Amino acid sequence: MILSEAGESRIRGYLYVLQQSLAGALPREVAQDAVREIESHVRDRVAATSAADERGALEAILAELGTPLRVAQAYSAERTLDEALVTGRVVPVLRATWHAAVTSIAGFFAALGLLVGYVAGLAFIAIAVLKPIFPHNVGVWRDGPFGMPTSLGAKFPAPGEPSGGYWVMLVGLALGLAALVFTHRGAKRFLAWVRQRKAP
Amino acid sequence: MSRDTWQEQLRRGSLDLAILLTVSAGPKYGLSIIQHLEAFTDLVVTEGTIYPILGRLTRDGLLAAEWVEGEAPHARKYYRLTRQGVKRLADMSDEWRGFTRKIERLMAAVEKERT
Repeated sequence: MILSEAGESRIRGYLYVLQQSLAGALPREVAQDAVREIESHVRDRVAATSAADERGALEAILAELGTPLRVAQAYSAERTLDEALVTGRVVPVLRATWHAAVTSIAGFFAALGLLVGYVAGLAFIAIAVLKPIFPHNVGVWRDGPFGMPTSLGAKFPAPGEPSGGYWVMLVGLALGLAALVFTHRGAKRFLAWVRQRKAP
Repeated sequence: MSRDTWQEQLRRGSLDLAILLTVSAGPKYGLSIIQHLEAFTDLVVTEGTIYPILGRLTRDGLLAAEWVEGEAPHARKYYRLTRQGVKRLADMSDEWRGFTRKIERLMAAVEKERT
């Protein structure tokens, strides 16, 4: 079947939406290659069609292929999960976790828990970094001079003198790194679980 | 687990093997792989989702991909098994045969106990 201008326009529209959907999830050259391959598929299907109703035939071909969003999600899931699990690097793991969070309910709650873990880790490390810069504002805060510790962190202006001294740096660093390492391991385990359940 | 979920998991688990088997006969491009799968199985639900799997198998080193010009009015991306892919396919085929044999044996034993 030789396509009319309207048919060509329909294919270009599909491929444009696919390209836009892939843009955030895949490196540019990989996304371009994917779009080229999908276009090749559509052209092959069109060439093999002898139906008189061009519009109906084209819609059937695109429906068999899946919506651009569905195809992009499949690419994104394969790519981001692979990269995250193989490399274990922070950015791919965060990207894959984000993808899981926006595509499933379980992913959303898991990502929420992981976010809390990462933020807690960074907060503890921030305490360690800020202590030597603001020694009178960062530390362990007590309920009165001899009271129970109520919080660990920074206060501006300081209501009094914090306790804990410079040990707070060591404690903050240890807690922060531990939180980050355990959260990251949790994220990778979660992504491995998603990988097993993932639909092709 | 519902019947649909079980069937879906079975389908997902066997798709990699089915694709590697299809390509093992010789280099094939995306649509020809899909048509081959559709002719012998009902594993392809959405055609567009096969391509990301082909991409993953290529990144894993099991398939090699190459664009071929001039065969059709447009270029086609051909896939072929790599040496690593041949070995993996042999392992997967053995595992699959062993697995189905055990399940068949179990089903036959249970059937025998019932009678």
